[in-house]
Amino acid sequence: MPERLANKLKDRRTELGLTQAELAERVGVTRKTVNTVENGVFTPSATLAIKLAKALELSVEQLFWIER
Amino acid sequence: MSMSDFMWGLMAGLAAVLVVGGIVKWRRRDMPLTVAEKAEYLSKRRARMLPALAVIFLSQQASFFSQMSEGGHVSAEKAKISAWLVLSALLLLGLATKGFWFEKKEVRDLIDDENTRANRSEAMRWGFLFAMGTAIAVYILTMFDTVTGREAVHMVMSFGIAAAILRWGFLERRAHRDA
Repeated sequence: MPERLANKLKDRRTELGLTQAELAERVGVTRKTVNTVENGVFTPSATLAIKLAKALELSVEQLFWIER
Repeated sequence: MSMSDFMWGLMAGLAAVLVVGGIVKWRRRDMPLTVAEKAEYLSKRRARMLPALAVIFLSQQASFFSQMSEGGHVSAEKAKISAWLVLSALLLLGLATKGFWFEKKEVRDLIDDENTRANRSEAMRWGFLFAMGTAIAVYILTMFDTVTGREAVHMVMSFGIAAAILRWGFLERRAHRDA
């Protein structure tokens, strides 16, 4: 079974009342990149993961985890 | 092929690019957008344009190779060969750089964000593999038929670039699709 990086980006973003575009602007990427990370299509770099976690007021481990 | 025919073709290709660029700029003249909105708009437009560009590029090849089979490379219209060369160079530049050369730096930087760079690299990988695959196929073909150097280069470049553009277009469209 391959490993994949799961996340609760969408849940947390909704919780904070942010749109994908607003979150994207906070971390300095396009909405498309936030969308692909949320959908699990794209694995973000460590830098982007840290920026996303900071913007969503969580630790990286709370936001991302490995799913088998 | 005389040099002047070739130059006319090149100039026609470049003129077409400038006209299209001008129309695109003119259509956007009254759209007050922030940097993020503009990057999003341009990124979406690129995702729509890439498959269309690949189709135009491939249809150029269909026309070129059908003429080639009728009477060799020389009979292929010079203007079409020049147009192919211009389009190939532009597509390669688009693949290798951030693109949108006439936009502001901050817009260009944002459009070329992490996901776009990953998609671009993946597209380049596909382009390289297809180019090498075509080179192998051409090499085998030369054992049975005569293939000139120019024809070989044309085939390798065409398949490599087309594969890269199609892959990039697919990845960009998938990235814009909501879950």
